[in-house]
Amino acid sequence: MMLKFFTAACVTLSLLAATHGQNDELIRMEQDAVRLAASSVSDSVVQIETLGGMEKVGRVLIGTGPTSGLIVSEDGYIVSSAFNFIQQPSSILVTLPNGKRRPATIVARDRSRMLVLLKIDVDAPLSVPVAAPRGELRVGQTVIALGKTFDPGQVNLSVGILSALNRIWSKAVQTDANISPSNYGGPLVDLYGRVVGVLVPLSPQSNAEVAGAEWYDSGIGFAVPLEDVNRQLDRLKSGTDLRPGKLGFAFAGGDQLDPEAKVAVVKLNSPAAEAGLQPGDLVVSINDTPVERHSHVRHLLGPLYAGDAVRLTILRDGETLDMEATLTDVIPPYEHAFLGILPHHRGSNEGVNVRFVYPASPAAEAGLQIGDIVTQLDGEEVENAEQLRTLLVNRQPEQLVRLSWRHGSEAVDGETTLTRLPEDVPAAIPAIEPAPEQTEMPTGKIQIEIPEEPNRCTALVPESINHGPNGGLLVMLVKPGETEVDKIVDRWRAVCDERRLVLLVPEPRDGERWQPRESGYVRKVIDHAIKRFELGDQRVVVLGQEAGGTMAYIVGVRHRDVVRGIAAIDAPPPHRLRQVENEPLERLAILSATASSSTVADRIKAGIKAFRKLKVPVTVLKRDKANAPLSDDERAVIGRWVDNLDRL
Amino acid sequence: MTLRLPGSLRRIRRRAPLISTATSFAVHLAAFAVLLSLFATPASGQSFPRVNASVQEKLIKIYGAGGRRGLEAYQSGFLISNEGHLLTVWSYVLDTEYITAVLSDGRRFKAELVGADPRLEIAVLKIDASELSYFDLGEAVELQVGARVLAFSNLYGIASGNEQSSLLQGYVSAVAPLAARRGVYETPYNGNVYVVDAMINNAGAAGGVLTDRAGNLAGMLGKELRSSLTNAWLNYAVPISELRSAVQDILDGNFRSRAKQGTRRPDDHVTLSRLGLVMLPPVLAKTPAYVERVVPDSPSRRAGIQPDDLVVMVGRVVIQSRDELIEELSFIDRLDPVHLTILREQDLLEIELMAQP
Repeated sequence: MMLKFFTAACVTLSLLAATHGQNDELIRMEQDAVRLAASSVSDSVVQIETLGGMEKVGRVLIGTGPTSGLIVSEDGYIVSSAFNFIQQPSSILVTLPNGKRRPATIVARDRSRMLVLLKIDVDAPLSVPVAAPRGELRVGQTVIALGKTFDPGQVNLSVGILSALNRIWSKAVQTDANISPSNYGGPLVDLYGRVVGVLVPLSPQSNAEVAGAEWYDSGIGFAVPLEDVNRQLDRLKSGTDLRPGKLGFAFAGGDQLDPEAKVAVVKLNSPAAEAGLQPGDLVVSINDTPVERHSHVRHLLGPLYAGDAVRLTILRDGETLDMEATLTDVIPPYEHAFLGILPHHRGSNEGVNVRFVYPASPAAEAGLQIGDIVTQLDGEEVENAEQLRTLLVNRQPEQLVRLSWRHGSEAVDGETTLTRLPEDVPAAIPAIEPAPEQTEMPTGKIQIEIPEEPNRCTALVPESINHGPNGGLLVMLVKPGETEVDKIVDRWRAVCDERRLVLLVPEPRDGERWQPRESGYVRKVIDHAIKRFELGDQRVVVLGQEAGGTMAYIVGVRHRDVVRGIAAIDAPPPHRLRQVENEPLERLAILSATASSSTVADRIKAGIKAFRKLKVPVTVLKRDKANAPLSDDERAVIGRWVDNLDRL
Repeated sequence: MTLRLPGSLRRIRRRAPLISTATSFAVHLAAFAVLLSLFATPASGQSFPRVNASVQEKLIKIYGAGGRRGLEAYQSGFLISNEGHLLTVWSYVLDTEYITAVLSDGRRFKAELVGADPRLEIAVLKIDASELSYFDLGEAVELQVGARVLAFSNLYGIASGNEQSSLLQGYVSAVAPLAARRGVYETPYNGNVYVVDAMINNAGAAGGVLTDRAGNLAGMLGKELRSSLTNAWLNYAVPISELRSAVQDILDGNFRSRAKQGTRRPDDHVTLSRLGLVMLPPVLAKTPAYVERVVPDSPSRRAGIQPDDLVVMVGRVVIQSRDELIEELSFIDRLDPVHLTILREQDLLEIELMAQP
């Protein structure tokens, strides 16, 4: 009955829109349609109040006022936004549309779509709303966002349109209606009074509960389709928390628009590995939906949860294969395999020219020597260090590999067992011997300016940078207040020349301290230096002491795609460090140096333990005295550590 | 008490220094885009230019004190009589002898302060002009949730001289008391407001006009306020019906001293000990109001309160912590009954008791 009326109203609306002069009538009808749609869902929207809990989560102060929830079953189940419970309240009260208050308990959480399922006891069936079919949603259609923040008896509303359909990896729809804590947890409804979705703050980058809340009332808001929520309702009702599902494979290169979804890495013990996925496979379709490009895969997998089954269709050597995998929430940390050589910076394309062999390494066991050229791994040709690196990424420690190399004019074959990446710094790594100048970059001390950034940055370009490609980059984040940049540069000059490293010394905008957001600036100078000085991508290190060291962690972790090493002197990782995983293609190494007398020794120790647990190699240097300036010996060790980060 | 999120887009200019001024320019642009699109949509209708013109000629741009960072020296107002009276918000802008009022045709007048009501935060000014078109407060309309509305104001001081004031459209989100709880909002006004889903309360907009789609006066745009109920910046207008009698009082020269209502504590008020309650000590910033012990032969014991009960409401106010309980009890006269709502296991119990002397 109601639906019929709406249909009639909408038809009339569109007819009226075509005629001039009757716009007042049109506006009145539109207004009536909005009110009717809102009031028809009002009985399914509840007010939620929380008691106790924290005042602050991170830097976000938590509101104390009522929030909203949506009834999803007549026996007392209610969904709401996880944002409304971030303070971890000791008690929750739900006020039904008839004014009755009921204590509520949290039954389960959806940690992918950031929802919470609540349960209250009821003595009469509750009003369950109708879900708008996802397939009928159209961009541009009018939608109304509802909450119960002001009054449990009447909804507050804001009106807008659907702005986009498949947002946040297809988990949500987007609207321009005002979405804020005054309606998080409430429904987004269409003009027919059907529920499009549940309003939640979301962010494509982060799974934190507060992520996306900074976009409130700004023309960009999200709703998780109610259809999707209903599909998971039984799982949630059983008390099972839902988590994002992972398969455990990665594509090569950062080009998300690449039309070919070619697998570069399959993580050990992951669902992808168990299903039989291999590097080099081309993912053709997922659950029978053709994969159009790289980023499409994330859209197809994004809506799935741990525990969901997925069917992958792949192309391998011209053959189409189907495989089934079950997504998981935790994949065992990835660990890189190690052969035991450093590639020469001036490599040819006929193999990997061995610059250095680690003592007692798999390579040394096999008999490799400096000057040899590695040509094959397990029968596959390797033309350069990059190719060997890609092959090793899909090997694991303790794995037996066959190796072919040239010793002078002699071809040699051998076998060896790979190990994990070493944490000790080799006692000596011979410097790259000078060669006729290959490039003609100006050397010495240079000031680097980035447009629109007020920070100062000094660069030292050593003579040795002109001796070939694949120079390294050492970014020194000064201790705030340390203004004698010239002295720093002079002290590092010898090490940088020997190790072929460009030194960058960016300074904080405010001399007193580094702001975490300045990591964006540091990233800009890194990108600038890599391009300008034609540096390699494996020996890029951020170094800092005390506050500068903590900043080094922030920069390193935020910019995993370029930073390969973090060296922190007398500095622990920051308290709230973004979650780190050991990524096969974004290798990271840590150097942590301090003395046991340091006031933050415990936190530094805890940080080392945490990174090692994630299988990130941590090199530990013992200092004689905490917070003392670096000695020449320490700089030499750090130099060798940076120099060895392109190890294979 | 005011709680914050990391900055709303529309408040970038002074409260969220993380974002550059370029974005703030974008906010201005966005405000203009709203304005432009309204005129561009077919739904704006033929009668719309007339509606706009009839409201615009009653709007006043007001300039006064301020001008320092974060304190704009301008606001909005509108004519309310044939003798040059105009209504606006009571604010620091009026805290000067030189208040300038600019009419929609660009004429400039020195405005005199006739009177103000600090509780409602309104002020009546007068300019030496007559035969101007004005809003008759007696003809103001009431709005309901879901009504389409227009907001006229000089937000961000973007219009000057005879340029027309800015126009935003939206819907009434809620009709609700501004001060739903004590101390939540930084304003003494505690009546109903129209909450609107458009950004109508930016700098300089206060004192502007909220109308229905036919241009009938409904409310006066309020000052910029942030709510700790939702953390969000509020967009609201005060209904004219709430202001009418106060304006009349000012025009009649009747200044009633209005104390802040609802925030005065009775001299002899209810305390925990007068109820015989011993609460869990404050171990956290927001320790929940758990009963630790009930004093024998006390009002609480007789009312059946037990250890481990959680006090969740006093009267109609939800209590979030032990400190809020003590605060809320202090507003109840000792001779009045105390209504507590208690959470015991999963049951909500309502209890009435009287404090002892």
